[in-house]
Amino acid sequence: MKNLNVFGYPLFIVFMAALPLGLDARWQEVAISFLVFSVVALSQDIVLGKCGIFNMGQALFFGMGAYCTAILNNEYGWSLLSTIPVAILIPALFGILLAGPIMHLRGDYLLVTTIGFNIVFVQAVQNNLGGVTGGPNGIFGLDSLSLFGHEFTDQVAVYYFAFAVMLLTLWIMRNLEHSKAGRALHYLRLDPLAAESIGINTRLYKIFAFGLGAGIAGLAGTVFVAQFTAVSPEGFGFMQSVLFFSIVIVGGSSVPGIFLGVFVMFVLPEVFSPLATWRYFIFGFAMIAAMILRPRGIWPAKFGNIPKFLIKESNHGG
Amino acid sequence: MAGNDLVLTGVTKRFGGLVAVDDLSFSVKEGQIYGIIGPNGAGKTTAFNCITGIYRSEEGSVKWRGEEIRGLTPYQIVDRGIVRTFQTIRLFSEMSVAENIMSGRHIKSSQSWWHGIFPTPGSRRDEKENWLRVQEQLEFFDLQDYATTPTGSLSYGMQRRVEMARAMAVEPTLLILDEPAAGLNDKETCELLQTIYKIRDKGVTVLLIEHDMDMVMEMTDYLSVINFGRKIAEGTPAEVQANPAVIEAYLGSEDDDE
Ligand SMILES: Nc1ncnc2c1ncn2[C@@H]1O[C@H](COP(=O)(O)OP(=O)(O)OP(=O)(O)O)[C@@H](O)[C@H]1O
Ligand SMILES: [Mg+2]
Repeated sequence: MKNLNVFGYPLFIVFMAALPLGLDARWQEVAISFLVFSVVALSQDIVLGKCGIFNMGQALFFGMGAYCTAILNNEYGWSLLSTIPVAILIPALFGILLAGPIMHLRGDYLLVTTIGFNIVFVQAVQNNLGGVTGGPNGIFGLDSLSLFGHEFTDQVAVYYFAFAVMLLTLWIMRNLEHSKAGRALHYLRLDPLAAESIGINTRLYKIFAFGLGAGIAGLAGTVFVAQFTAVSPEGFGFMQSVLFFSIVIVGGSSVPGIFLGVFVMFVLPEVFSPLATWRYFIFGFAMIAAMILRPRGIWPAKFGNIPKFLIKESNHGG
Repeated sequence: MAGNDLVLTGVTKRFGGLVAVDDLSFSVKEGQIYGIIGPNGAGKTTAFNCITGIYRSEEGSVKWRGEEIRGLTPYQIVDRGIVRTFQTIRLFSEMSVAENIMSGRHIKSSQSWWHGIFPTPGSRRDEKENWLRVQEQLEFFDLQDYATTPTGSLSYGMQRRVEMARAMAVEPTLLILDEPAAGLNDKETCELLQTIYKIRDKGVTVLLIEHDMDMVMEMTDYLSVINFGRKIAEGTPAEVQANPAVIEAYLGSEDDDE
């Protein structure tokens, strides 16, 4: 755990920062997807992993962020970066509104409800809701990334945008672990009754987690648009939600576990490109094997986020 | 003169046809160690659940310092200074002792939800201060050596101590303990007694359920005896011990156990 914080993360970040230099255009594209999907998977981890909410609709918020960016760019000519606040806030608000009435539901009922939300969303954009979502074909021919009037057509710029978003997400995840709100999520997942009985408003914090997860997924949607300069409904369907859900469970709800899961799901199939069409097949087997062999995930989350001054030499275990 | 802090009047809780708590009234005074005793299934835990908001009683009132708290949620009741432990220990068993105790600091912490996303110097200071409070509880309950140990791997007696430490971290006015001595050996029971005295000396009112008669008689200032959901006696330990109804209830229940 300590080694991971001292060496693991800095090494990973330096590696990811230097990565595009060593990649050709095709692999840069894969690397961007890796970052985008990692951010969505991390947002799902806040909801599912930390808070224990069986949310099977995370792709909805990812898609909502992407559509916010695409619509504002397409209809009103906003630059992609300037849509960021909207692409975070609209999904977050939607997350809060949707979460409110369903948070008391038991895990399995909640899961079905969130699948329903996701299906409704995809149907709405497919049917060209409000005449701005472009129907089944989506919206295409959007602007590239630009900052202060300068346009970046190189995909390396998109990579670094995605990288910055991932760093921001990691930073937020770290802040959560060292805060009252973040701990409340763990407490209420492990024992909701004990959490209530120690003074935690479990409903409020579940909604908080849902809203935060939705906001981060929405931001990932902006990056997605920057990469493809297009959106279409199929990228945000129920199947995508299942993948994000599975990545958190199979990975073990830890940051390294989630990166590993996204890597196996989205990068490995590219490495074995003849196998790419088999990727669900591979991932399906990986899921089955992981759950049988390591029921708590490949890289289970660890607790023990306590300050050094509390740790004594003679500590038992831990 | 200390007033009545917690006043139950006519509290009734039913489960289907079963009246688990039947027209129960009692009042706990500030600074007391108040005992509730009664045979298995008498409704003691259910009464506690009605006080702490886990259940809402169908009838009656639960007043805390003059305020009606029946119908409030558990976390709202904690916010008013009433904290409990559970008969079946409920710790966050995968987490360390220190993290468990830290959960008790939740309502005392000044952080808002958004500090979980964007910390400020103020929230970092608050974080540090609360961990220092955790350290105080670790010391008070003699758990310093176990700060990083997951509570699931501790002995029963130790887990009970952690649960009390967690409750005390809230800095309660009224501490409610549901059979704190259950599963403890003699030595641990002895230590528990001392701990409860120390807690009372800090100015905390203690309300507890206990099966161990000797312990109740020694420790409590005042107690109520419950059988079949009803209060059958109350008074000081000496008064209760001499009460024929109590003797009968206890002997009777032993016969039932056969
Ligand atoms: N959630 C519940 N649903 C149905 N019946 C319940 C429930 N909780 C308690 N009871 C019943 O209410 C009665 C009182 O139970 P309670 O747990 O309050 O007893 P107790 O005095 O705490 O007993 P013990 O000494 O065994 O802990 C019992 O008959 C029990 O079966
Ligand atoms: Mg009981």
